[in-house]
Amino acid sequence: MKRFRRFISIAAAGVMMVGLLGGCGSSKKNDAGKNGEINVFVWTEYVPDSVFEKFEEETGIKVNVSTYSSNEDMLAKVKSETEGTYDIVLPSDYTVELMIEQGMLEELDQSKLTNLSNINEAYLDPSYDPGNKYSVPYQGGVAAIAVNTSMVDKDITSYDDLFDPSLKGELVVLDDYRAVIGMTARSMGYSMNETDPDKLAEIEDKLLTLKDNVALYDSDSPKSALISGDCSVGMIWGAEIALAMEEDPNIKVVYPEEGPYVFMDNWCILKGSKNYDNAMEFINFMLDADTAQMVSEEFPYLCPNKAAVEAMGEEYSGNIAKNPPEDVIAAGESVKNLDNDTLAIYNDMWTKLKK
Amino acid sequence: MELGERNEKLIKKHKWRSNNLPAIATVGPVALLLVLLVAVPLIYVAVMSFCTTDQYYNVVFSFSLDNYKNLMSADYMKIYIQSIVIALLTTIICILVGYPFSYLIARTKSRWKQLMYMLVIIPFWTNSLIRIYGWRTFLGTKGWLNTILQTIGITGGPVDFLYKQGTTVFGMVYCLIPFMILPLYTSIEKLDGSLLEAAADLGAKPFKRFLTVVLPLTSGGIFSGCIMVFIPCLGYFFVSNILGGGNSDVIGNLIERQFKSGNNWPLGAALSIILIVITLLLVKLYQKIGGDMDELGV
Repeated sequence: MKRFRRFISIAAAGVMMVGLLGGCGSSKKNDAGKNGEINVFVWTEYVPDSVFEKFEEETGIKVNVSTYSSNEDMLAKVKSETEGTYDIVLPSDYTVELMIEQGMLEELDQSKLTNLSNINEAYLDPSYDPGNKYSVPYQGGVAAIAVNTSMVDKDITSYDDLFDPSLKGELVVLDDYRAVIGMTARSMGYSMNETDPDKLAEIEDKLLTLKDNVALYDSDSPKSALISGDCSVGMIWGAEIALAMEEDPNIKVVYPEEGPYVFMDNWCILKGSKNYDNAMEFINFMLDADTAQMVSEEFPYLCPNKAAVEAMGEEYSGNIAKNPPEDVIAAGESVKNLDNDTLAIYNDMWTKLKK
Repeated sequence: MELGERNEKLIKKHKWRSNNLPAIATVGPVALLLVLLVAVPLIYVAVMSFCTTDQYYNVVFSFSLDNYKNLMSADYMKIYIQSIVIALLTTIICILVGYPFSYLIARTKSRWKQLMYMLVIIPFWTNSLIRIYGWRTFLGTKGWLNTILQTIGITGGPVDFLYKQGTTVFGMVYCLIPFMILPLYTSIEKLDGSLLEAAADLGAKPFKRFLTVVLPLTSGGIFSGCIMVFIPCLGYFFVSNILGGGNSDVIGNLIERQFKSGNNWPLGAALSIILIVITLLLVKLYQKIGGDMDELGV
């Protein structure tokens, strides 16, 4: 009996410990490679491990990877850590602008970006970072609609169709307030970056009608819910749709009539980086055509690397889910930075939607 | 004369030392640890809850009650109520399932005792996040459960188990039930068997014996189990995120959102303070109805 008591107390202590630690993530840091290391902080399901491994093999620089699932997550994390914790981040367009304004980014040494010529000129010199002083494009795309045609009878052609009551409990949408509120705004003919309070009130009314339709908010791997059949319609990243289509041929991609939410993600180096040269080497490596092709094969987003696009041929260019048509991109809109008061209204709407 | 005065001073000093030094040496490190790891962060959170943010989401130190004013709005109230309902349901189910089980483990003399105890403990050697993801796969439309139900013909088509409030409650029960079983087990174990025999000798039927003897004597365990299930339940955001699909937020989800995607730390801090206040109120209530603080065992 005594032994049993002791066993129980140890076991109980174990439970408490695990209970306390449950949900906490931990990151282990290995020894640096022979040529030093870099700490990269990137989106989940966006940069293949094989690419990091190839870089480590070629350069002897150890890559430590951490991930985030929204720009806002990344900002919060970077600000809460000491300078130099991360060397490289991968923010979207509007976040690049925000980070430049705050002096969070280090200028890129243009002389080391020998592979920049691989990038399609259409994606260079963007309005959020004129002259690519702080950022170079990685991948982009749109938030499109995925429909499992074996489960849905309704003909879905627009963001507006997602609000149809017949889709109750069928939707998976991005867990990203600018995307979901922006999608609602566009379905009403408004801008994703609306600031007029009256229009925002209208948008809120419509947004709340989406509540019953959404079964799941997921930005990390929304394709899983589509493939598993738990959701039949999704408003998710384009490449997630392309991957879902490979698993289940009944899934189709629909580009909304209103013009989609478009984005471009960019490599940047953070102020205070302790491994600047290695980071530059990494960014240049990511601009290489072979690397871009490896990335596209695993995470088929819009690829701004024209050399890679050429090498991939029809496999990429002919697939409209991977390579959105030019008129779709042209009709789209990207997220812009908004003032604090407006963002507070956006946040409020999001809370109401999720209650 | 002078010498005597100096001696007296020395003696005084020595006395002070011998009185206080052992206390400082033994309690000092713990006190320091508590101040650094509990008091300072708490004060930091409390201070931050009165701050605001600028347009770049940076925290601006100023005094403002806006955060608390926002949190008193009807929309937030609905989420508080929703999370209290979820926590309450979880606690009730934990008692209903946990009590008979604990009673069984505590009272049985068989060799199954250790095994039954192990059954409660072993799942906790795997990270709870992974186990909750496991349930998501198991309960999915094309998951095992649906496949089995359809194969043996109980259901015609797939049943939507996931992304409902009920699923969140289920996940919470699954995660937290050991915290109910452990204190219950201890209190039932301590129960003096001769009292039950006496009650039986005096003619009490089993149900009456349970109601008048067992239940009052184990109420301490029930209360502490309730506290230990109810409070974490308000904060386990990952369970409602994964199984509830964002349709059954608890207070923990609100806090997580403010610190991550919402990027409004002051608001998140104010929410944390509200959670702490709710917790303190519950513990006070627990003391009021006669709970023993030692029984909480934490």
